[in-house]
Amino acid sequence: MLLKKRIYSFAIQSRAIKPHIYSSSIINQFSSSFSSSSSSSSSCFRFSKSKFFGTPTNVLFTRNIEDLFVKNKHLFCSQPKSVENFKCWNCGVEADNATPFLFCQACRTVQPVNHSIDYFRIFGLERKYNIEGGELEGKYKDWQKKLHPDLVHSKSQREREYAAEQSARVIDAYRTLADPLSRAIYIVNLEGVVVDEEERITDPELLAEIMELREAVDEAEGAQSLNQIQAQLQEKLKYWSKSFEDAFLSKNYEDALASIRRMTYYRRANEEIVKKL
Amino acid sequence: MLRHVTNRILAQGPRFPAPSAAATRLYHERVVDHYDNPRNVGSFDKNDPNVGTGLVGAPACGDVMKLQIRVDNETGKIVDACFKTFGCGSAIASSSVATEWVKGKQTEEVLTIKNTEIAKHLSLPPVKLHCSMLAEDAIKAAVKDYESKRAKSNGTQAAAPTEKADDA
Repeated sequence: MLLKKRIYSFAIQSRAIKPHIYSSSIINQFSSSFSSSSSSSSSCFRFSKSKFFGTPTNVLFTRNIEDLFVKNKHLFCSQPKSVENFKCWNCGVEADNATPFLFCQACRTVQPVNHSIDYFRIFGLERKYNIEGGELEGKYKDWQKKLHPDLVHSKSQREREYAAEQSARVIDAYRTLADPLSRAIYIVNLEGVVVDEEERITDPELLAEIMELREAVDEAEGAQSLNQIQAQLQEKLKYWSKSFEDAFLSKNYEDALASIRRMTYYRRANEEIVKKL
Repeated sequence: MLRHVTNRILAQGPRFPAPSAAATRLYHERVVDHYDNPRNVGSFDKNDPNVGTGLVGAPACGDVMKLQIRVDNETGKIVDACFKTFGCGSAIASSSVATEWVKGKQTEEVLTIKNTEIAKHLSLPPVKLHCSMLAEDAIKAAVKDYESKRAKSNGTQAAAPTEKADDA
């Protein structure tokens, strides 16, 4: 029986990280599996229930390491992992890499959230901007049938917590991917490009256009004129959505961000129209 | 009871939560005042040589802000200002405050108005600090626009005397 001890220390970020106090030891019953390279920033710590001891002094971040990266967006590390062997915490069965491992098929237990599985993988989609909307909803419902907290009343406390987290993540994933703008922002994030939330621009053409647009919405009387403006907006959104896709495919992230900016402005104007209608 | 940490969905990322979300974090009464009693909302003629127009935007939240100043050519004093902002309450209030503060000042003077002063005046929470930055940018852009207009008109005037000098 081999015992591998590895201590990971990470800088603690103040907001919203809940450390799990687990031991620093990764217990490996089977001497073959654990390679250090694959788990450098991975969140996959697995230990079988029976061999678990805690060293209270070492506060470790297990799967919340990915949380760190996700939340701070400094290192949005989401390269597809090379053959991660996910093991069920309950029955120890290894998952096949065909389906995303949110749920163990063998013993039918919910797994803890693993942030290395990005939103596209949850729905079994390729990482591209143009996705089929119909598939998304179907898969979303399938997942919720397995993961929804309402359906796990009979299970252990721990599993119910996993179910809550997983279910929340699947909902996030569905909402992000269903909306073109958030999908665009997400997919660009996955490539390591971050949309600056406090960016200010002085592009006179774009701003003048948006100013006119918002003024038109503001002054519009009656549903007809509003609907007209809305129709024009939809056209523009479609155009810039296509432009984003082209820019993204050719890895032109400057243009991709520019398209995102425009889409955000149009989206905002659309919200105002909807409010008025 | 539940340990789970819900990630803010990315769609909500650029949108800031409504201020009423946190019971203690409401809009400061000054912000509400500027929102309910807007002052200096309007437009000047962009082509008027005495008018400088500053147009800035924050694309992440879909805000756009226009601030205009009317300057007395002789004295260089800002005699009037107006704004038009589409955005959150904090952005509207910041630009409103900006128009109030620039009135009666010299164009060089208003360039020293800092966003931190505006933010302090309105007690803006950290997430809304960039709204005050936007207002500061708008002031600077308006002054810059006015100066460039003046430089252009002075340039055409300056050309004439030099020609005369050449002739002589």
